[in-house]
Amino acid sequence: MLDTSKTAPPVLSVRNLSKAFAGKTVVDDVSFDIHPGETIGLVGENGAGKSTTKNMLCGLLQPSKGEILVGGEVVPQIDGPEHGISAVHQELSLFGSLTVAENMCITDLPGRPARVNWAEADRIAKAQLEFLGIEIDTKATIESLGAGRQQVVEIAKALLHADRVLILDEPTTSLTAIEREKLFAIIDTLKARGVAIIFISHFMEEIYRVCDKFIVLRDGKQVGGGHLADVPQRQLEEMMVGRTLEDSRIDLDPPGDAEALSVKGLTAIDFENVDFTVHKGEILGISGLMGAGRTEIAEAIFGLRPASGCVQVHGETVSPVTVQAMKDRRVCYVPEDRRTNGLFLNRPVRENLSAASILNFVRRSLRGVGFRGEKARAQEEVKARNISVPSIENRVSDLSGGNQQKVLLGRWLSTLPDILIFDEPTKGVDIGAKFDIHETIAGLARAGKAVIIVSSDLPELLHTTHRILVMRKGHMVGEFRREDYDSVKIISLAASAGNGSNRNA
Amino acid sequence: MTSPTLASLKTYPAIPIIAALAVAFSLFSPYFLTSGNIEAMLGANAVVLIAAIGMTFVFLTGGIDLSISTVISASAVISGLVMAQTDNVPLGIGTAIAVGTIFGAVNGVLIGYFKLTPFITTMATQLIARGIAFVLSQGIAVKGTPYWVLDFGFMSWFGIPAVTLVGLGLVILSAAALGMTTWGRQVMLVGSNPNAARYTGINVRFIEFSVYLLAGVLAGIAGFISIANLGNAIPGVGDTLLLMIIGAVVLGGTAMTGGEGSVERTVLGVLLLAILTNGLNLVGIPFYDQLIIQGILIFVGAWLAMKFSGQRNA
Repeated sequence: MLDTSKTAPPVLSVRNLSKAFAGKTVVDDVSFDIHPGETIGLVGENGAGKSTTKNMLCGLLQPSKGEILVGGEVVPQIDGPEHGISAVHQELSLFGSLTVAENMCITDLPGRPARVNWAEADRIAKAQLEFLGIEIDTKATIESLGAGRQQVVEIAKALLHADRVLILDEPTTSLTAIEREKLFAIIDTLKARGVAIIFISHFMEEIYRVCDKFIVLRDGKQVGGGHLADVPQRQLEEMMVGRTLEDSRIDLDPPGDAEALSVKGLTAIDFENVDFTVHKGEILGISGLMGAGRTEIAEAIFGLRPASGCVQVHGETVSPVTVQAMKDRRVCYVPEDRRTNGLFLNRPVRENLSAASILNFVRRSLRGVGFRGEKARAQEEVKARNISVPSIENRVSDLSGGNQQKVLLGRWLSTLPDILIFDEPTKGVDIGAKFDIHETIAGLARAGKAVIIVSSDLPELLHTTHRILVMRKGHMVGEFRREDYDSVKIISLAASAGNGSNRNA
Repeated sequence: MTSPTLASLKTYPAIPIIAALAVAFSLFSPYFLTSGNIEAMLGANAVVLIAAIGMTFVFLTGGIDLSISTVISASAVISGLVMAQTDNVPLGIGTAIAVGTIFGAVNGVLIGYFKLTPFITTMATQLIARGIAFVLSQGIAVKGTPYWVLDFGFMSWFGIPAVTLVGLGLVILSAAALGMTTWGRQVMLVGSNPNAARYTGINVRFIEFSVYLLAGVLAGIAGFISIANLGNAIPGVGDTLLLMIIGAVVLGGTAMTGGEGSVERTVLGVLLLAILTNGLNLVGIPFYDQLIIQGILIFVGAWLAMKFSGQRNA
């Protein structure tokens, strides 16, 4: 199979592909070939032009310059089904209340419009799933399936209409480790069947696991490409960022002895009997798979969801645990989903910064009245956090993702917290901003603050924390100190199906 | 890039329409710009102005209060009955406000604390308030309004009716509450993103409760003003007002989705509808033809509000 792929003509070729919006070039001079059975990784930071390239390849956008060749022939614009090219986008396009079979055949239902042949649709879906070696009930509704199976249905649906080139855009972001492995196995099957795959991902490990070749985009330009086997991961990352990365493991001071926050027997629907303590000057990581209950614990500690058990701040029990009670004790929580749970998108940067601690921003002579001083204080915060924005009166929705995250960080740092809980603090920010945020967090710990980081990004926890707690299905199943960090052990502990009592101190 | 003119259009999308209408009507009717006409126009819209302030706060949190219109009727009728019995004007004012407060509190508790949907909840209270107004008045105007109240309805200072001055006083108070207090800021933030407000430690339930309570209180005051305007408490007085109130708030440029708008914008929205109705009457356009024009104008206003506030791509 692999031999034929080298001699066969490329199924899809791209020559000097460029795209400009309103005079601004976002993709500039991208060229590559892909052969049947080959997998190319398309890598780059946020805004590097990956999505625009993808949209040109699947026909959603018309290139400004350059040409696309399908099977050696130039085509003016891609037509997915006709040219055999399909894409699975980050946002799935499935209908939750319809069945697997209905979803797979929805764009081309057998029978007549007024009299659809549902039995035939079911047969088509079954045959396709069987062909791909996937066991999913075609009569199940999409919403009854997990994220991993939904992804697989989406892929099976895409291949039903176009099976020469498959574009996968960040297919693993919502999958658990096990689901991810299953997806990779399916990708291997497809490769063996001669499907050419373009794989877009942030995760280097996945690129190396899945792809044969790679293309690196930076600021819309193709800055590298070739066989992955020839390029170490470090070099690939440096190509993406465009500078050499110094050792990302951050120097940490030893933590203090004084207890800052401790949790005893915390129990709710999503987790059970959770105990841990974080000390002043310590950075504690909480690791685990999706659905292990990490975010739920963080939210329960901050009074955002009900839980039984005991939460102590500086040795004093907080009861009842409410957001206000935790804020009064100088605890803060920076949530994972900044657009849904963090930012007031149509309000100005100024109001977003002062939202959690208006009294730290204003001078008042009458209780609850007046905003004198708010502007100056917000201006200081914008400078201190290095937020790039024309004016503090701009809406937060006008800002880039990295700057939005800095606004959220600024809001909570303005509350002058002693204990900080960060949920996925670097999700969706590019590598440069990620290091800045890690440096800020390390600085907080050096200043004697206690920090908890909840993250799915294990390398992030390995680099930035003193200690990692591992969670599985709502239970704390392990604890590792920095000197004993071992990513393989941590991952297997988080993912293993056995009972979780092997506490590794 | 943004000139001061464009910036104020962004904030007050009603201004160009008001200007155009004022010019057009003054060309068509010599009576339009007389002090007598302006005074009549202002007085006739005091009830809508006061009620629209309350609706503005509800809209700012992303909610809606359909009961405002008939709470005006219920508080007018009950206040009218109390005054007919006692001839006590302060007691009548107190009664009108109390009735509005009770309805507002019921809406506020159900929506803020029991998390019922605003649309359904206030639709139910709308029916109840309307029923109460008609049952207690037996469907006819309540007679026996004290003379002071009748006089008050005709009073005016420097060409501005007293009822309008009450409205403007409430405008100033509520604009200050919205723009200058922590409570007002929290109303805006809750409307912008209720989840984020909760994660930030804002008492979202209380804020939601408080805007419906405020809307109720203002509807109560509007009910009393309607007695002064019309001379009697009329059980159907609020029935036709709901769309005027919502139209005024939306045309003024306050978004129904929350977190965007102001009391000042609503004042302009009320003025716009007032000029439109008054002008069309003067020009002699029949009532039902006016409805068509009003509808078209709401399209234009909504389009302008969207265009200037740059929400098209949001």
